[in-house]
Amino acid sequence: MQKKLVVLFVIVLLAFLGLSIQIYAISRDKGNEYSKTVLSQQSYDSRVIDFKRGSIIDAKGTVLADSELVYDVIVDAKQMLSKDYYLEPSLHALEELGIDSAAVRRYVTDNPSSQYYIVMKNLPYARKTAYDERLRVGREQEEENGTPVKDRIYSNIKGIWFDANYIRNYPNGSLACDVIGFTNGSNQGQFGLEEYYNDTLNGTPGREYGYLDEMSNLERTTIDATDGYNLITTIDANIQSIIEKYLKQFNDEHANAVHTGNGANNVGCIVMNVKTGEILGMGSYPGFDLNDPYNIAMVTGMPRLNEKDAPSGEYLTGEDVNAMSADDQTRYLNALWRNYCISDYYEPGSVAKPFTVAAALESGSITGNEHYDCQGKLDVAGWEIYCHNRYGDGIISVSQSIEMSCNVALMEIAFAAGKENFCKFQDIFNFGLKTNIDLANEVRTDMMIFDADKMNIADLATNSFGQNFNVTMIQMAAGFASLINGGNYYEPHIVSKITSASGTTVRNIEPRILKKTVSAQTSAKIREYCHQVVVGPNGTGKTARPAGYMIGGKTGTAETLPRQNNEYVVSFMGFTPVDDPEILIYVVVDRPNVVFQADAKFATGIVRNVLTEVLPYLGQPMTEPLSESEMEELSQLEESNAYAIGASGAPAAEEVEEEETVSEGGIPEGTEDFVTVGEEEKKEPAWKSFEIDPETGYLIDPSNGHHIDPDTGFDYDSTYADEVVTPIP
Amino acid sequence: MPERVLKRSVRVQGAEVFRDYTLIFVVLFLLALGLVMLYSTSSYEAALQFGDSAYYLKKQLFSTVIGLLVMLLVSVLPYRLWGRLATPAFALAVILILAIIPFGVESRGAKRWLYFFGVSFQPAEAAKLATIVVAAAMIERLGSLVKTLRGMILVFLPPVILSFMLYKITRNLSSAMIVMAIVACMVFVSVPDYKRFVLLAVAVAAAGALWIFMTLRSAQAAEDTLNFRGNRILAWLDPQAYADDTAFQTLQSLYAIGSGGLFGKGLGQSMQKLGYIPEAQNDMIFSIICEELGLFGAICIILLFIIMIWRFIFIANNAVDLFGAMLVVGVTGHIAVQVILNLAVVTNTIPNTGVTLPFISYGGTSVLFLLFEVGLVLSVARGIRLKAIDSTQ
Repeated sequence: MQKKLVVLFVIVLLAFLGLSIQIYAISRDKGNEYSKTVLSQQSYDSRVIDFKRGSIIDAKGTVLADSELVYDVIVDAKQMLSKDYYLEPSLHALEELGIDSAAVRRYVTDNPSSQYYIVMKNLPYARKTAYDERLRVGREQEEENGTPVKDRIYSNIKGIWFDANYIRNYPNGSLACDVIGFTNGSNQGQFGLEEYYNDTLNGTPGREYGYLDEMSNLERTTIDATDGYNLITTIDANIQSIIEKYLKQFNDEHANAVHTGNGANNVGCIVMNVKTGEILGMGSYPGFDLNDPYNIAMVTGMPRLNEKDAPSGEYLTGEDVNAMSADDQTRYLNALWRNYCISDYYEPGSVAKPFTVAAALESGSITGNEHYDCQGKLDVAGWEIYCHNRYGDGIISVSQSIEMSCNVALMEIAFAAGKENFCKFQDIFNFGLKTNIDLANEVRTDMMIFDADKMNIADLATNSFGQNFNVTMIQMAAGFASLINGGNYYEPHIVSKITSASGTTVRNIEPRILKKTVSAQTSAKIREYCHQVVVGPNGTGKTARPAGYMIGGKTGTAETLPRQNNEYVVSFMGFTPVDDPEILIYVVVDRPNVVFQADAKFATGIVRNVLTEVLPYLGQPMTEPLSESEMEELSQLEESNAYAIGASGAPAAEEVEEEETVSEGGIPEGTEDFVTVGEEEKKEPAWKSFEIDPETGYLIDPSNGHHIDPDTGFDYDSTYADEVVTPIP
Repeated sequence: MPERVLKRSVRVQGAEVFRDYTLIFVVLFLLALGLVMLYSTSSYEAALQFGDSAYYLKKQLFSTVIGLLVMLLVSVLPYRLWGRLATPAFALAVILILAIIPFGVESRGAKRWLYFFGVSFQPAEAAKLATIVVAAAMIERLGSLVKTLRGMILVFLPPVILSFMLYKITRNLSSAMIVMAIVACMVFVSVPDYKRFVLLAVAVAAAGALWIFMTLRSAQAAEDTLNFRGNRILAWLDPQAYADDTAFQTLQSLYAIGSGGLFGKGLGQSMQKLGYIPEAQNDMIFSIICEELGLFGAICIILLFIIMIWRFIFIANNAVDLFGAMLVVGVTGHIAVQVILNLAVVTNTIPNTGVTLPFISYGGTSVLFLLFEVGLVLSVARGIRLKAIDSTQ
């Protein structure tokens, strides 16, 4: 037996020896190769750490856009099924996270080897931490109670992972959607501030990576992500919400009135600080929900586009939208997202008249003391160009030409200045060029502005009252601000300050004067002329004045192409206080959904509503006595409003306001451009005796059946340009 | 009181008790080294899975402490006691294996565990101990009859039953093989004949070769009908071809051994344990030892096992009776076979089969029963009279 034991020992020794040789052989023959394989298996460059995109904040600190840490919930079916008592607690945990556990159970059963399946996206940070805490406490308790392994709930939750990332969040939904823009999933801004300041808002992603040191040991290093910068804007969320409230109210009143569709093709409004170029509010209708910008239902009611993306005269119904092809959806969504105030152009109409007068005054062509005789039309190089009032305005001063918005007088003034001066000043007022406002997708319209050497006399004539050249709203607003503030052209801007993620100021953006457009004297005259538009006996803008305040301004009514369609863009440019303007407001209504579109009351109504709320909010002192009806209107408004985000006036209060606007001052309804002269009223002109059409309330001219405005004599069925055919250059 | 003092002094005078300090030192050293390597190997995965890097260490430490207490107790009990308990021990092993059918818990595709009050337990380990005790008792009772064919069949019968049950019920081929190897060692030592053992070895080798050949044939015929053992054989022959599934663990283990070099990457510096060798703390812990401690560390551990087996052989040689010697031979066979199989798997010398490395791999039941067996050996050693050693040497 002793011998056998020795033999056994020798056999074991031999086996150990053989295995030792085997280990040595592996190390000797394959050592280098395997060392490399081991190193190449390691992942060195593994993980990108997301940065947090900066916030967009309004002037008062309200957050307009921010990025939120969220989690994707990942299910690892293989791990979840690795023990039979893992599945139920894990599914229960998913249920607690608000995930349909039945669907997950089906997936896990069908794909038992799947290790990465996203069951939920964008789980909020707070819910994830609450879940983690519950898990931690639960596990500790089970450990303390000594629950048998198989009966544990929290300790047997397996195969659930969380992937962290940021999503963009817009706490106020659609508020200031045109200005803010939105972002796609990969932090690329689209439209508005998000696109223009994309690089500023984005930070630098961090990285966690490994490398081998000189001893071939794997080291890991983390470079933290740098979060993006925040934007502090000049936008005031309260002013913005007031603007959007009344744009929506306008739409609600006029939607589906004449044709199906929105209250107008487009409605835009800009409120701006005259002395700095800061935009306080900018909006258009229709808007969209920034948290759900791809919601195609929002395009319902917009004009149907033709092949050239121009409005076709038809409007999208709900069925159209449902049946829309993917290409068309993209087309209409782009139209919806576009900021009307900076990306669409139109003929400004009579709002351009103060510019024409300023150009003539500034070039010394007129002094402001001239008088012109309006006979209702002017013969220009063989064309008969009509005034708004075909019955003639009579003999009027320069001031009255603005007050009454007389086309004939403006043509005479433009002729006096000459086309060289006229075109030079269009350039000085920056028409056609970008204002360089800090928003994406601003268009330039210089192809639709005349050069002096290509301009004929008829072009000059129509340009003088704002037809046949195209501008954007922001061009008009920025130019007009310089006309009334003493001649300083400020670059309009929205961001006033850029701060780092920790809140320190990175850059202050100060107001920038780009140029001097007109002298202080000319500016003072224009202010006075525009004052008369609101207070003059024949002023066209009376209905724009809010209760308790004095404003200056200019109405505009421009025919759209093709002419003879009786389609108009109506607008009002207003400012206050009159002597030393601070606030400018510009409202444009593109083709209102009404029978007779050529009525500036659609724009002045919005201006009045907005200013009635905005001016007290800004702390502007009231200068005008209040009538009893105005006091009642204001007290009702105060009850319904708290000047806070989200608060909107009760519709009842606004209806009352509308009625009182009509009865107040004896002049019902805004009477765009076409107010008759006092003397003519006394003479009871021929049209005063026309029959009233019971359907529309307008007078009917028995000779041709045309609708005539009962107060101004404006013929709604004819146009100034019936005989003028001027191609757009 | 005086009586007791007298009694002790008499005993000391009669024959000094033999304590094998070398063996005790080797066992404790291996256990300590095992715990260190277990922590190094398992901490990464434990932290990922359980949020506690010492999860496996704590459990193993607990089993080791219990095991040491058991070892102490068994070493002071007279080992002859176990001869009388051979039949109940065999019955208990059978019952435990049978209990797997209704109460067994499945893990990693195999049903091999029982749970007692939340503590997992592997009946296969109990079966190995029962085999040692039963075979030793049987060999002593048969005396010289062991040499006869009938005697050999009688000795082999209980382990064959256990082995067959382990294979059929728990699908645990490696444990079944180890049980058979243990009893083969014991019979080899007790029978002074070589011819039949050479024949047996040749027969086993031929059967193994035939099996591998058949597996390859059926692999060529239809690849999809192969069971997992067949796949393991194919993966053994050509690990690179099965690098993504069956041979993944083996290949990664070879990478670990090869990349260690002479002195290794240093304790705790293994890269392969970072998810590349799944559950490296079980069967594959030796490859991580090679990676971290190098050839040097690996050879040191093999030397420790050689010293341990040398001590076992020494004790068996000097045991006062056949039963004690056979117990020690059984334990020797158990530990030697398991170490050899484990190293052979890790180096891809034989097809992958789940065998743990004694005293080092993670496994509570395993360390508990191994220390029980060491306790038996120490108990046998206590019976050795120092004078007897002097006289034989």
